[in-house]
Amino acid sequence: MFDFPKHLYTDVRIEETSTTKISYKKSTLQEEKVRHNKGAFVRVFDGKRWYYASTTDVEKLQDTIDELASMATPDENIDDHPVVKAFETNQDTILQYEDTAIANVPVGKKRALMEEYLELLQAEAIVHHKSYYVDARTVKSIYSSKGANVTFDKQSCGIRMDLDIVFGDKKDQASVSRAAIHFEELAGLKDYFETEIDKNLAFVRDAEPVEAGTYPVLLSPLATGVFTHESFGHKSEADFMVGDETMAKEWKLGKEIGQKHLNILDDGNVHGSGYAPYDDEGTKSEKTSIITDGKLTGRLHSIQTAALMEEGPTGNARAVNFEFEPIVRMTTTYIDKGDKPLKDIVANVKNGVYIDTIKHGSGMSTFTIAPDRAYKIENGEITTPIKVSVVTGSVFKTLSLVDELSEEFELLSFVGGGCGKMEQFPLSVGFGGPYTLVRELKVE
Amino acid sequence: MKKETLSIRTKETTARIRNTAIEAVRTKDIVKKAVRVYDEGKIGIGGAVGDVDERTLEQQATDNLQAGVLYPHSLETGKDHRDLNPSPMDAQTMVQHTENVLNTLRKDFPEFSFSEAITVRETTYTMQNSEGLDLSYHDAAFELGLILKEKKSANLFDGFVVFEGRNFDPKRFWKFNREYLAAYNNPVDFPKGDKIPVFTFQSPEAKRFLMRSLNGENYATNSSLFSGKMGEKLFHEKFTLEQNRNPKESRTAFFDNEGVRMSEDRVPLIENGVLKNVFTDKETAKRYNLNHTGAAGGAYDGVPSLSTAPLRIKTDSKDIKKALKGQPAIFVVVSSGGDFTADGTFAAPVQLAFLFDGEKLLGKLEEFTMRSTIYKMYGEDYIGTFNPDTIYIGDDLQIQGYYMDIKR
Repeated sequence: MFDFPKHLYTDVRIEETSTTKISYKKSTLQEEKVRHNKGAFVRVFDGKRWYYASTTDVEKLQDTIDELASMATPDENIDDHPVVKAFETNQDTILQYEDTAIANVPVGKKRALMEEYLELLQAEAIVHHKSYYVDARTVKSIYSSKGANVTFDKQSCGIRMDLDIVFGDKKDQASVSRAAIHFEELAGLKDYFETEIDKNLAFVRDAEPVEAGTYPVLLSPLATGVFTHESFGHKSEADFMVGDETMAKEWKLGKEIGQKHLNILDDGNVHGSGYAPYDDEGTKSEKTSIITDGKLTGRLHSIQTAALMEEGPTGNARAVNFEFEPIVRMTTTYIDKGDKPLKDIVANVKNGVYIDTIKHGSGMSTFTIAPDRAYKIENGEITTPIKVSVVTGSVFKTLSLVDELSEEFELLSFVGGGCGKMEQFPLSVGFGGPYTLVRELKVE
Repeated sequence: MKKETLSIRTKETTARIRNTAIEAVRTKDIVKKAVRVYDEGKIGIGGAVGDVDERTLEQQATDNLQAGVLYPHSLETGKDHRDLNPSPMDAQTMVQHTENVLNTLRKDFPEFSFSEAITVRETTYTMQNSEGLDLSYHDAAFELGLILKEKKSANLFDGFVVFEGRNFDPKRFWKFNREYLAAYNNPVDFPKGDKIPVFTFQSPEAKRFLMRSLNGENYATNSSLFSGKMGEKLFHEKFTLEQNRNPKESRTAFFDNEGVRMSEDRVPLIENGVLKNVFTDKETAKRYNLNHTGAAGGAYDGVPSLSTAPLRIKTDSKDIKKALKGQPAIFVVVSSGGDFTADGTFAAPVQLAFLFDGEKLLGKLEEFTMRSTIYKMYGEDYIGTFNPDTIYIGDDLQIQGYYMDIKR
C-alpha cells in the first residue's frame, strides 16, 4: 500500500469520520449538520527523533512519508531499537458498526426524536434552553513499516439539553444528557429525562450555600469516575514517569496506596466513550489492573514508554484526532465495585456531603471536583441540596481514605466534553464505578 | 440565492519536548472550508476539512437549505484585509530558539525537567460573499508552553514556563524566567493576614462567569446574574470590560462569524463599573431588542450563533508597587479546579504562587485556597488591571489584582 522508506520505522493512521449535529435554541432549529471528513497522521522514527505530519491530502500520503523520511537519518539497525522492537504487528479488521452505521439512520428520524424530548422542557422556571443531538462514526486504519495492518470502527450518539433555570433570584444552569452507541438506545428515555429535569429544578429552587469545612464525602458513580480519573488516573500514565527517578520510586509497582478493597482498572474494550480495541499505534487494548487490592500493579503505556520502562504494552497510545500524535491516555477507567449496599453506606454517615453530578475536575498535587448537584448527608439520610464551589483533596493521601465502595456500579459514557492533556482536548474517555465514601475532603 | 465562503488555514511546526530535549518535530497544514447559501430567509451550509472543491461544498449547502434553518438577516459588505505578522518566524528559527532555550534550561536549571511543546503557528481566516464582503486576517505567533517538574518531586508537574507572542525577545525571556525559577527555589513564609492582595493572569473562572452573565440571551431571558441591571453600577469605577476584537490585543479575528466589524474593534460591556451592554449576534439583538455587538460565534461550518465573545478588561492602572503601598502581595501562577457558584461565590485551590512586591517574584509560597465573590473581586476589593513590564510571558500581557480571603 505504501512504499515505506528503508532503515526507518514508519506508521500511518487514516481516520474517516461521519458526523451529525442537530441543534435547537428552545424549539427553534439552529443547525442540521451532516459531515464526512478524512485525514491522516504519519510518523517516521530514525531511532533518535520522531518526525510527524498531519494532512487532509490523503491521496498524497506517500509524498508526506517521503518528505518526513528526508528529514530523518536512516539507521540500518533500526529494527533492533527497543522501541521499534516493541511495536506489535497486528493484522485485524473489526468493523462492528458497519451494518448499523449511525450515518444510515435518516436525519429526519434524528430530528423527530430530539423534538419529542424538547416537549419535556415546558416548566416555567426553564427560561431558556439549548439542546442538541450528535452522532459520530470513525473508521481508523493503521499501517506500519513492521507490517501492522489494523482497521476498526467506533460509534457514538447522544442527546444533551442545557437548561437555564430561574426561580426568582435563584438562577443556575443545568444539563441533562444521555450517550449511547446505537440510535435505538436513545428512544424511550422520557422518564429518565423527566426525572433528571425535575432533580435539577428542585436543586436550583432549594439549594443553600454550603458551610465550608472538611466532611466525609459520598461520590456517585459519575463523581467516583471523575475522582478516579483526576486523583489517580493521570498518575498512572507512564509518559509522566519516563526518565524520572523520583516518580518511578514514588509509583513503584507493589506499593500500597489504598485499602485492600480498592481495585482500579483501565479497559479499552469496554463499549462506550473510551472504546478503543486497538490504540492509535495499532497495539491491542488490554484490561489493565492499575491497583489491585490496594497495591499498585500496573500503569498505562504507549509502545515508547513500555519499551523505555521495560514493561508490557497496554494499548493506551491515543490521539484526540488525526491532527495529533498518539500519547498515553486513559480509555475507560474505573474503581471496581464493592460489596455493601448504598443504603448501608449512607446510613452510617452522620454529617457529610453527597456529590451527585459534576461540572469539571482537575488533578495536580491537589485534585479538584466542581460539583453541579450536591446534597447534605444528615444522620444517615441524603437531605438538603447545597451549593458547592469546589471539593479538594491530596492526590497522595485520598486513595487511602476510600472507606466504602457500594455494590451498585455504573460505567458511563458522555455527550460532549472529554479529557484534556495539554494541547489534546477533548479526548473521549469513559469512567464510572460504585458509590464511594471518602473519609474526608475539603468542601468550599 | 446569495453565497458566502469561509476558510481557515492553520500551518504550524511544533517541537515536542520531553525531559528538556526535543523528542519529535511535527508539521501541520490544515485547511477548513465552508460555503453558506442564503435563500428566502433560510441558510444552508456545506463544509469540510481539507481542500475540497468549492462547487462540492456549494452543492452540500444548497441541499442543506431543505433543513429549513431560518436566517432572516442581511449580509455584510466591505473589504478589510489585515496582516498582523507579515514575516512570521520560520520553522528553522523556531527550532534554533528551542535548542537555545533547552540548552540553557539543562545547563542552568538541572534541578528541573521540562516537557511539552514549542510551536510556531500561522493562521489565515478569510470570508467573502456575493454582496461584496471581502475579509482577511493573517497572524502568526511563537508559542512556548513547557511544563516544569522538580526532579525531586513526585507530582505530575509543578508549574509552567510559558510565552506566546508575535516576536520573541530571548533577553527579556531569560530576565523574567531566571527570576521566576530562582523564586521557585526559594520557599518563603506566607504574608500575614487573612485578606491579602492577590495578582492573577486573567482568571479563566472569572472570565467564564462573566461570559455567561454578559451573554445577551442569558441577560434577556433573566438567567444572568446581571439581568435587569442595565445602566446600574455593578463594579469598581475603574473597571471596564470590553468585547475586544482588536487582534493586536486579543489575538482574534477582527470580524465575527457573520462578518461583522465594530468601530475600533471593541464594544464596552461594563464601563467604569456600569453595565452598558451585553454581547449579541444579529438574531439575539433583533429578538430581544438589544444593541448589536457583533459577537456571532460557532464552528467554521456551523450556523452563526451566540455563544462566547472575546472579553478583555481594559488596562486601568500603571504602577503595581505604588498601588500596594509597601504591602506584600501574592502572585498566582497555577490555580486549577476552582469555580464560581451561580450566585457569584468563588473558591479556588492555588497550586503555585509567589510572594510578590509589585515588580519581582520573591519566593515560593505553600499551597492555599482563595475565596471571594464576583462583586468583590471587581468591586470593593479590586486593585486594578496592569500591563507589567517585569513579567514577560507574551505580547500585551495583563494581570489583575484584588484582595482575596486566603485560607492556608
